[in-house]
Amino acid sequence: MIDFHGVTKRYGPVQALDGIDLRIEEAEFVALLGPSGCGKSTLLNLLAGFEAPSEGGIGFAGAAIGRPGPDRAVVFQDAALLPWLSVQDNVTFGPRMRGDAPAGYAARTAELLGLVGLQGFEDALPSQLSGGMRQRVGLARALVMQPRALLMDEPFGALDAQTRLAMQQLLLDVWQTLRTTVLFVTHDIDEAILLADRVCVMTARPGRILRDIPIDLPRPRSLALLTQPGFVAYKADIMQALHPGR
Amino acid sequence: MARDGTRLTGVPAEPRWRQPALAALRGASALALPLLILAAWQWAGGERGVLLGGALPTPLRVWEAWQAWAFGPVGMGLNAYSGTWLGAVLFSAGRVAQGFLLAVALAVPLGILIGWSRGAAALVDPTIQMLRPIPITAWLPFSIAIFGIRDFGAIFLIALGVFYPVVVNATQGAREVERNWIRAALMLGSGRMKILLHVVLPAALPAIFTGMRIGLGVGWTAVIVSEMVAVKSGLGYVLWDAYYVGRMDVVLADMATIGVLGLLTDRAILLLAGRLLRWRALAAHGGGR
Ligand SMILES: Nc1ncnc2c1ncn2[C@@H]1O[C@H](COP(=O)(O)OP(=O)(O)OP(=O)(O)O)[C@@H](O)[C@H]1O
Ligand SMILES: [Mg+2]
Repeated sequence: MIDFHGVTKRYGPVQALDGIDLRIEEAEFVALLGPSGCGKSTLLNLLAGFEAPSEGGIGFAGAAIGRPGPDRAVVFQDAALLPWLSVQDNVTFGPRMRGDAPAGYAARTAELLGLVGLQGFEDALPSQLSGGMRQRVGLARALVMQPRALLMDEPFGALDAQTRLAMQQLLLDVWQTLRTTVLFVTHDIDEAILLADRVCVMTARPGRILRDIPIDLPRPRSLALLTQPGFVAYKADIMQALHPGR
Repeated sequence: MARDGTRLTGVPAEPRWRQPALAALRGASALALPLLILAAWQWAGGERGVLLGGALPTPLRVWEAWQAWAFGPVGMGLNAYSGTWLGAVLFSAGRVAQGFLLAVALAVPLGILIGWSRGAAALVDPTIQMLRPIPITAWLPFSIAIFGIRDFGAIFLIALGVFYPVVVNATQGAREVERNWIRAALMLGSGRMKILLHVVLPAALPAIFTGMRIGLGVGWTAVIVSEMVAVKSGLGYVLWDAYYVGRMDVVLADMATIGVLGLLTDRAILLLAGRLLRWRALAAHGGGR
């Protein structure tokens, strides 16, 4: 479904990514974990089509990726909602720009707003929402496009611990219903294990994939997983990979 | 910035009951100084109602002159200005409106384009920056030579004066659009034109309004200057004409009229901005990012 082969990215003298090979299957949830500045966002931006690789190529659904598009919907760390549009208008922005008839997306929009718990807030402006609510709008805005893959760049990184847990549970529930392919960038080990089928651990810059760890924990999952022995074992393994010798 | 309590309502934290009282107090203190000056000026004029050997009429004289100018019978008696006030106001305001709209219609798309595209910036921006230092008053003879003593000479000058601040601010606004807003629109499948229209333009709107407010001030300056020299009607024409025939009371009434019109049109723009940019006021109260 997603296929990075030999992808390298340089910004002038700075090498952000070095020879990335990564395959992600359809309906797989992959977490990308690594220290700050190791090139996680760069990798995601290349897949989104916002930037082009210096070397190598990226395949998506059997073809080379082209310009950014709704088949690879992105959820941004700061939500990146359009602040002059209401929740409803932010969520329907994509379909409206594409020229869809309202009948074609009205039901889907209402359903998604329900799924992310935002019914009743359709007319609110982004600045009237809390950080967690803004992220949920960002998620609904991406999902309304019915993307083949969802690219999430530390979507909960700026939230407080409590809200963050709630959002992780919400994402587990949403994924359980929709089963979209997800590439999820984070530097939170717990988050990666809790959400993903596979955790890819990256090295410090220039980023390379250091370990590719399948997470064999049963679904549907919930926050209760965080304290179970199986979970803790994965955590020890990943911490060892990230900080060897400690 | 109080984050809590203002979140879902956008109401500022100040208790409601204090607001009218505070506003009244502020209004009163704002009026105190002008009233004092008017009173002293009136008193200094004494019985004859003029100061400085007749050059400066008192406020009451000016008020009477304005009443005759505004409400007197037209074309009667010795007072050539009688009843012509509204006409003069409409001439001047109409020219400002036309010049303003013409300038905004050109400057907003151009500014957005310059701010968005490096190519457009390289092509057009240097020319604008080269012409901008020429004061609009310096364009006056040029305008008369090209357009003659006609309406469009004044409108050209006004449009020129409004154009620069609007184009510069629109450019700035379009340049400072958050990169992720554009990326979000891109990944949602929007094309270039849609992004310009639905992301860059709304994002640049606050800057555009700043430019329009500055531009409007320049527009009023331009209309008065060009009517004094290049056109034979309007408040600027009356201003100069009244000065020539020694009617300083009309001159002062004219100045006051221009001031009030400038204030009112500025308020109108602010009101429109308040409507269109409600999201921004809310973001300022509610914390935003
Ligand atoms: N547009 C750019 N120009 C120059 N250097 C860049 C650019 N974008 C990223 N870099 C550099 O590339 C490296 C990787 O950046 P990237 O944002 O992908 O890291 P990250 O893993 O997402 O970090 P974080 O966890 O802090 O978000 C960094 O050293 C960064 O400074
Ligand atoms: Mg990043």
